Amino acid sequence: MIELQNVSKIYDLGEIKVTGLDDISFSCEEGEMISIMGPSGSGKSTMMNILGCLDRPTSGTYLLDGDNVSKLSDDQLARVRNKKLGFVFQSYNLLPKIDALANVELPLIYSGQDHRHERASKALEAVGIAQRANHLPAEMSGGEKQRVAIARALINDPRVILADEPTGNLDTATSHSIMDLLTDLNKKGITVVIVTHEEDIATYTQRTIYVRDGKITEEKRR
Amino acid sequence: MSLWETIKSAWQSIFANKMRSSLTMLGIVIGVCAVVLLVSIGQGFQTSMTTTFNNMGASALYVSGSRSKTVTIVRPLTMDDAEALTNKKLAPSISVVSPSMQSNVTVQYGTNSATVQASGVTPVVTQIKNYQIDKGRFLTDLDGENKLSVIVLGYQTTQDLFGTESPIGKYVRVAGGKFQVIGTLQKLGGMGGDSYILMPLATMQARITGGTDLQQIAVKASSSDLVDLAIAEITAILRARHYIATGAADDFQITDMRETLTSMQSTLQTFSLFMGAVGAISLVVGGIGIMNIMLVSVTERTREIGIRKAIGARRRDILLQFLIEAAALSLTGGLVGLLLAVGGAALMGHITLGSLSVKPEISGTIVLIALSVSVATGLLSGTYPAFNAARLDPIESLRHE
Ligand SMILES: Nc1ncnc2c1ncn2[C@@H]1O[C@H](COP(=O)(O)OP(=O)(O)O)[C@@H](O)[C@H]1O
Ligand SMILES: [Mg+2]
Repeated sequence: MIELQNVSKIYDLGEIKVTGLDDISFSCEEGEMISIMGPSGSGKSTMMNILGCLDRPTSGTYLLDGDNVSKLSDDQLARVRNKKLGFVFQSYNLLPKIDALANVELPLIYSGQDHRHERASKALEAVGIAQRANHLPAEMSGGEKQRVAIARALINDPRVILADEPTGNLDTATSHSIMDLLTDLNKKGITVVIVTHEEDIATYTQRTIYVRDGKITEEKRR
Repeated sequence: MSLWETIKSAWQSIFANKMRSSLTMLGIVIGVCAVVLLVSIGQGFQTSMTTTFNNMGASALYVSGSRSKTVTIVRPLTMDDAEALTNKKLAPSISVVSPSMQSNVTVQYGTNSATVQASGVTPVVTQIKNYQIDKGRFLTDLDGENKLSVIVLGYQTTQDLFGTESPIGKYVRVAGGKFQVIGTLQKLGGMGGDSYILMPLATMQARITGGTDLQQIAVKASSSDLVDLAIAEITAILRARHYIATGAADDFQITDMRETLTSMQSTLQTFSLFMGAVGAISLVVGGIGIMNIMLVSVTERTREIGIRKAIGARRRDILLQFLIEAAALSLTGGLVGLLLAVGGAALMGHITLGSLSVKPEISGTIVLIALSVSVATGLLSGTYPAFNAARLDPIESLRHE
């Protein structure tokens, strides 16, 4: 489903060059649920951004569902993000001025689809937060916001959900309920990749990849 | 993303920042309001002018005593001068000669009174001016020969003195004397308006001004090609009659309405140019205001742009979003400006420009132009900020703040 071949990411800051990823190769089967762990600054987010088609590798190849997406144009990448991927952020990244329902509808607007209200309502229901449909993000708790964000990620029926520290801002109980939700989605066949700091979050996944200084140092199966 | 969705979300964002949006629109509001008002005044001016000239007859020549300071002795025009101009041998190019005398008088009927211009005229005046009888009858040669105390009322004077009452056959006081109303005239409009009375020239001279002098002789050439010839004939005849030595200046002047028309049209052109400049400047200022606010808005909303891109917005979606927002902002300003202009024009009613009474006219064309210009201003000033927004990198944008 996901395959990185010798992927490097180097941030060129003019004077200095910062290595985000250093010749990483890694793959993930369809339907897998894996976690990426590592200390701060080790390159986890850099990797997720590339997997999420928000960024391109400096070198190497990224095959998503068999297609080489490392050379796609900005607009083509936008298409892929819209259709094939769902991204969940640590800081939720909901638009603050529109309600939960409208936030969930957004990806449908960009893919020009109909019955947006109905579909968004269903998605909110699926993540167990239908009662908050008409609330603004500011009126919701962290866990609720993250559920809305997950509903938004799900709305276009993506094959893959990528979550960069989805529980990073949540208390333990809420974290576990979010992980339960992601596990449920995985059971329905969606490939899930999450980044986390916490070992007990990683235990929800079938496989953990350890990253340090932009390199994969270890891999653990459960 | 569909255009409709984009327009809807543009509105949401404009409404979310009401205060800022209204301040931003102000430039466009003032610009559009100024342009529409000025153009409508220009249009009203044009209409008023056209009416005036239609009433006067564009091929008419007006002969009056010279007003030049270098001419020391001015013989007044007389009935004999007017008579001489009708000589077909000496003045073959002249078809109508209409002598007249004017004086400001007070007209009274019961408790109503009005100060108007009284003109002593001969019936031939209807071949120069567009007098149309409303009720009663016009002056006849017989009225003049018998120096009858009869008058015909202009439209406004009829209203002022009689209101809804029928004036025909009624007696009024003109400059203290008793006169009978024999007719009323239809509305003329244009320069001079409709506050006036007409009476036989002979009556005017006998009862009001005294003497046999004339103020003016209106002359019409036989055809519009012959106007220059007619001027030459008038000049020759009057110079001879007034004993003006060769080389000396005329003691009379001939006003060619065509020249007046041309000069008024050039005034109007200058006016149009001026208002165009005023409008253009205010629209440019308004446009810069919009560009400025859109740039601020793009910076403020960098994170929003990042989020939209992360979930699948393409460059053109973001571009369109900000372009439409700028256009909607500007169009709203344009609409408000237009409404203010319409209200302003209605409040103004009639205004006086020089000797013209002008009513601003707002045409569909002006409305259409004003609105398209405001949309264009928005699109133009939104382009640069929108491109900036569309170019943003999703990761960089998400890191913002
Ligand atoms: N946009 C960027 N510009 C420069 N350096 C960056 C940028 N993004 C990440 N880095 C650097 O790349 C390395 C990996 O960062 P990141 O992937 O965010 O780490 P993690 O998510 O594991 O904490 C760090 O040294 C970070 O400073
Ligand atoms: Mg990170």
